Amino acid sequence: MTVPKIRNVFERFLEVLVIAIMVSLAVLVVVGVVFRKVGAALVWYDEVASILLTWVTYYGACLAALKRSHIGFPKVMQAIRRELQLPLLVVREVAVIGFFALAAWAGLRVSAILEGTYLISIPTVSKQLTQSVIPIGAVLFIIAELLSLYGVFGEPDAGTGEEGVP
Amino acid sequence: MTLLLMFVGLLALVVIDVPIAIALGIIAALAMAMTSGLETLPNVALVLFDSTTKFPLIAIPLFILAGAIMNVSGISRRLIAFASALFGFVRGGLAMVTIGASLFFAEISGSAVADVAALGSILIPAMKQKGYSTPFATAVTSSAATLAVIIPPSIPMILYAVISGSSVVELFVAGIIPGVLGGVLMMGVAYALAVRHDFPVEEVFRLRRLWMTFREAGWALLLPVIILGGIFSGWVTATEGAGLAVVAAFALGLFVYRELEWRKLRQALIDGGVQTAIVMLLVATSALLGNYLTEVQVPQRVAQGLIEFADSRLLILALLNVFFLIIGLFLHSAAAIILVVPIVMPLVHATGIDPVHFGLIVTLNLGIGQQTPPVASVLVTACSVAKADIWEVSKVNVFFVAVLAAVLLLVTYVPIVSMVLVNLFYR
Repeated sequence: MTVPKIRNVFERFLEVLVIAIMVSLAVLVVVGVVFRKVGAALVWYDEVASILLTWVTYYGACLAALKRSHIGFPKVMQAIRRELQLPLLVVREVAVIGFFALAAWAGLRVSAILEGTYLISIPTVSKQLTQSVIPIGAVLFIIAELLSLYGVFGEPDAGTGEEGVP
Repeated sequence: MTLLLMFVGLLALVVIDVPIAIALGIIAALAMAMTSGLETLPNVALVLFDSTTKFPLIAIPLFILAGAIMNVSGISRRLIAFASALFGFVRGGLAMVTIGASLFFAEISGSAVADVAALGSILIPAMKQKGYSTPFATAVTSSAATLAVIIPPSIPMILYAVISGSSVVELFVAGIIPGVLGGVLMMGVAYALAVRHDFPVEEVFRLRRLWMTFREAGWALLLPVIILGGIFSGWVTATEGAGLAVVAAFALGLFVYRELEWRKLRQALIDGGVQTAIVMLLVATSALLGNYLTEVQVPQRVAQGLIEFADSRLLILALLNVFFLIIGLFLHSAAAIILVVPIVMPLVHATGIDPVHFGLIVTLNLGIGQQTPPVASVLVTACSVAKADIWEVSKVNVFFVAVLAAVLLLVTYVPIVSMVLVNLFYR
């Protein structure tokens, strides 16, 4: 399997995940409003919606990493000489991957501590499951970052890092 | 000394293009390890998780998604047609249409980038075709889009409300008068420039056409009435209102206008998810840094220092304005709010400035930052849509940025402009 193929499969996987979470979040909020208005408020609605927000944050961040669209300041790197760009790019990647490696390790430590604890509103759902997004998301982010490097070296039209919302 | 090292480290990481969100996380983790020991590092995972589980923040992905669905379901096009029938008879009519359509779009989406991407792709080529200069067409689209962050709903306001502990609804209401005022003043500037450069009239005013476009866009125009009406009346919260916005945009695109296809909806969901993640990752890693700064009492020290330096409220407001304008030049608005607001809030409370009034001041400052290079997220998006040179556009954009600055000064020193509706309905 070639790198572009792996990248495509990985991108599709993240897209499906993000779509599923976004749809669930929107449906949950609307269902929550309806139930509250008919006087049968769902007790688990706030807690589950907040967890979905966290999940879309980290799995969506992996997709943004794959497209290299996180907010950055690429102008200095673009302006410097090419022979300096490669060593600085290596430093950049070590910094980014290092941070997510730390997050993955920290996430696993927390997960071990959380064994046997459950959500307040749904006592059957383990907190280990909800917090798994940190170590899993961090590992997926590292994979996305590495795969996105193919875009930087292999394709001239790599992302600009100037996305953003508000 | 530690703070200086942190700042230099952050700057170095940003300069080598480490995403701002991740640079903040790296610096915070290093500071934690150096000052409190390696054993505190598992807290990184706890803060990254907890900081993103704030219920009011759920409004962000939902408003972004509503904007993305509007964009692909023909709603933007109908809003433009209605604005054209309403304002198109004035000289430089397409510029008025751009500002008017931005006002309507802003009432549903809350994101300036979504606004410029949705309207710019239709209106900038149309203006160029009619003989408007590319820099003018780009500048008016870009600056008008910034109205989206003042007019409710507004994503920066949601962020500010969560971080400062203010009411989202009161912030939304405070933005109405300055937002409409900004739109009217921008139309005035656009008209003056249109007369000077002899830009054409778009179409003759015809009541029949206005009625027809109103009927076409009627459902879309009803969206803000339902969403904002629901939020302002207290029938739903801002988060629930955002959920309703998604359902309404989806239902309009699918059942009324019948232009929403699965392929487009899929893309809107992906775009919405990615844009949410970009903002929310900033929220998460800024919380890491914020926790550290609070631990070493930076906000309190900044507040104390500024109070000793300037004891007048007006002077402190002026200093805060300059501070936020400079921050807005270099930081994305979400990052600026998340990083700086917790630091200045003790000062705001100590000097008796209303947090809602201050929220609008912050939002306006950062709105100007969206238009001023080097970062200028909205201007960059507009230039990318128009394939225009950022410096050429900036030369024209100065006039529109001046409008935003005038509204900022008015809001800062005449608080009643933003607070009158809040005081009338909520206090």
